[in-house]
Amino acid sequence: MIFSSLTFLFAFLPLTLAVYFLTPLRWRNLVLLLVSLFFYGWGEPVYITIMFLSILIDYTHGLLVEKYRADDRKARWFVGQSVVFNLLLLGFFKYGDFLADNLFLLTGVSIPASLTLPFGVNVPLRGIPLPIGISFFTFQTMSYTIDVYRRDAPVQRNIVNFGAFVTMFPQLIAGPIVKYKTVAAELERRAHTAEQFALGARRFCVGLAKKVLLANSIGALWETCLAAQGAGTLTLAGGWMGLLAFGFQIYFDFSGYSDMAIGLGRIFGFRFNENFDYPYLAVSVTEFWRRWHMSLTSWFREYLYIPLGGNRGGTARTLRNILIVWFCTGFWHGASWNFVLWGLYFAAWLILEKYVFRAVLEKTPAAVKHSYTLIVVFVGWGIFAMEDLSVCGRYLAACFGGAPLWSAADGYRLRSYAVTFLALILASTTLGKRCWERLPDRAQKVLTPVLMALGLVVCTAYLVDGSYNPFLYFRF
Amino acid sequence: MTKAYGRFLTAFFCAFLGGLLVWHILLPDRAQSETENRTLAQLPSFSWESLKDGSYTEAVEAYFADQFPLRDGWTGLKARAEQLIGKSAFNGVYLCGDTLISQVETPDTELVGKNLGYVRRLAENTGARVTLGLIPSAAEVWKDKLPAGAESWDQTALLAESDIGFGEALSAHAGEDIFYRTDHHWTTLGAFYGANALLEALGKESLKAEDFTPETASANFSGTLYSQSGVHWLTPDTVEFWVPEEGLAVTSWRNGKPEEAALYDRAYLEKKDKYSAFLGGNQPLCVIKNENVSADAGKLLLIRDSYSDALAPFLARRFSEVHLLDLRYYRAPAARYAAENGIDDICVLYSVQNFISDRNLVLLTQ
Repeated sequence: MIFSSLTFLFAFLPLTLAVYFLTPLRWRNLVLLLVSLFFYGWGEPVYITIMFLSILIDYTHGLLVEKYRADDRKARWFVGQSVVFNLLLLGFFKYGDFLADNLFLLTGVSIPASLTLPFGVNVPLRGIPLPIGISFFTFQTMSYTIDVYRRDAPVQRNIVNFGAFVTMFPQLIAGPIVKYKTVAAELERRAHTAEQFALGARRFCVGLAKKVLLANSIGALWETCLAAQGAGTLTLAGGWMGLLAFGFQIYFDFSGYSDMAIGLGRIFGFRFNENFDYPYLAVSVTEFWRRWHMSLTSWFREYLYIPLGGNRGGTARTLRNILIVWFCTGFWHGASWNFVLWGLYFAAWLILEKYVFRAVLEKTPAAVKHSYTLIVVFVGWGIFAMEDLSVCGRYLAACFGGAPLWSAADGYRLRSYAVTFLALILASTTLGKRCWERLPDRAQKVLTPVLMALGLVVCTAYLVDGSYNPFLYFRF
Repeated sequence: MTKAYGRFLTAFFCAFLGGLLVWHILLPDRAQSETENRTLAQLPSFSWESLKDGSYTEAVEAYFADQFPLRDGWTGLKARAEQLIGKSAFNGVYLCGDTLISQVETPDTELVGKNLGYVRRLAENTGARVTLGLIPSAAEVWKDKLPAGAESWDQTALLAESDIGFGEALSAHAGEDIFYRTDHHWTTLGAFYGANALLEALGKESLKAEDFTPETASANFSGTLYSQSGVHWLTPDTVEFWVPEEGLAVTSWRNGKPEEAALYDRAYLEKKDKYSAFLGGNQPLCVIKNENVSADAGKLLLIRDSYSDALAPFLARRFSEVHLLDLRYYRAPAARYAAENGIDDICVLYSVQNFISDRNLVLLTQ
């Protein structure tokens, strides 16, 4: 189930809220666990088993790490087991086909579509549908055993509480990646107040509007530009319009989803960390990555980059570590070479900024730095969006002069999307926030319910019409 | 934020979500939507099998969306919002002033080639003369009305394959109301020009407009494009009947056996789908006999889509019999039907939009 669907908004959510708040405090984690399992099973009921497996294994490993704390070798062994289990889960379901295809290309060894075990048990090996959100929840559960081992969080002895953490539906399928330590205390005891609920509901409406009104709307433009590339009618202007469209789509889709998750979390009494901080205002690629999908970058920093030695082992080691982390970051986004390339593309820019451009960048005016950052980032979106690297190459060639400048169709697209683009640009800045904060308290109080109602009504209209409403993270 | 204000916002949010849920539950389910002219999804029955393969939850989502309270109001609101932000395309329909024009997607060239081939194969299988008539869509004839730069597939090359000059005939009258503004079909006026193009191609005497007294059958027709686009604010179209029913005997095979029918099924004028008033809409086979012309005026077989329904009444003036056969519902070979019924002319008559996507023309080769 996805948040931006009628069944979620007008059936699952109101019923869940009713059941949750009518339940006594001590049973609320159980309610959260059960509704989350329902939420997860809605799309792929069979995969609820993965959830159970994941809960059981990580729960036991947490206990084992705690039990053998005195014996560091054993404790580390159990942390390792849990990490390997999660990576195998990810590897099998998400990367299985990719690895098998590339193994075949490299060595000619082909993996069969399925394996028949004794007693007629048939195990499929290829073409398995990806369990939704697997990249998010495996990373979250990995953080649990590691946090317990590092004494960053206490061990969780209550399996219901732990299950509620693993399956918590607000962030289950599209993040943010909530580290166990962030919510450890709130799993035991949290406040449910009307103020928290109201703030959460407001945040949810903002996220819903970002997803349904901004991201979906501009996503349709990206689709037509990509189709124009296929038909051979893409122009230079159309190419850039498409890259802009995709960059805006993924930002408002993803940050809208994070807003909805953070808002829902707050309604249920949890405080998740922020995931985006106006990334398109960044004036360097390094800064962009401090503002984009912050829960993922901080996960990689904390659980991969720093354990690898970070930047403390000299230039060569630092370079190696940066490349490893960005290879993984890219690969995390999807089992395809373009994502790897996308990760390494950013590694290259980050390394350049760290070692080569630093002095130059310091003296460059902010406007130039901002433009440079946006160009790097949006070209990056081209690599990200086009899985077929030959299509990607031809598309980007058109953007850099390999096509006519302009066509009548571009004029039509620009007229159709001019207002949307303007809204997207303004929404990417802090302008709206600053204006809001300047309003007198009374005006805010009156406007909040008006804007929420307007957002909900218009979003409902767009959802009922059944227009373009993709789920972009099915590859994550 | 004060506690009271927090409670107010909370109550407001819950009332919106919960209120629509309660409304949804209380609202009786509808079998079909008049506005959208389609049957609506119903609450699916549960089975473990359908749950396991995901079809159950999918069906529930479809049911929930189709039976949503105020469904037509929401789609209309969305169209208004889109118009407000400068869009001129609404679910594949362009809004061009007071007229809706359906966008024609670039077709699968292989399918188009095959369909043209099937028509030629029919000519080899039958003694009757076979002609192909392709009717351009409004997006072609009214190209100038489309928003500047708006994309729609260029139909010129395909129209050159047509043996009947519908393209030229309609373009010559592009300034007139030859297509409905809210529906994808041609109007009775458009069909009149089409009829003369067909008669000319088959060497028959043409019809004169002054011989007809148009009857306004309905001034309240909101057609398929009204439904598809969600643009609900245009003035409805007028449906006209030109050819009087006297002297024409209509037989319909709507229910599998011949039944007496009418040139115009006026019951449809009270419904949403008013275009179906012509001959009563889609059916496997329909025959119009004209008692006032001599038997040697010839028998015409139309391999039809819905555009033929407005056209056939005109053609009945010049042929003793006009047969309309729909390949979607009539499964016996067309060549055999022509032989058994002494057909002189077979005309494969399709609108471009249907011809480029049709997958039943292969039946012509039987």
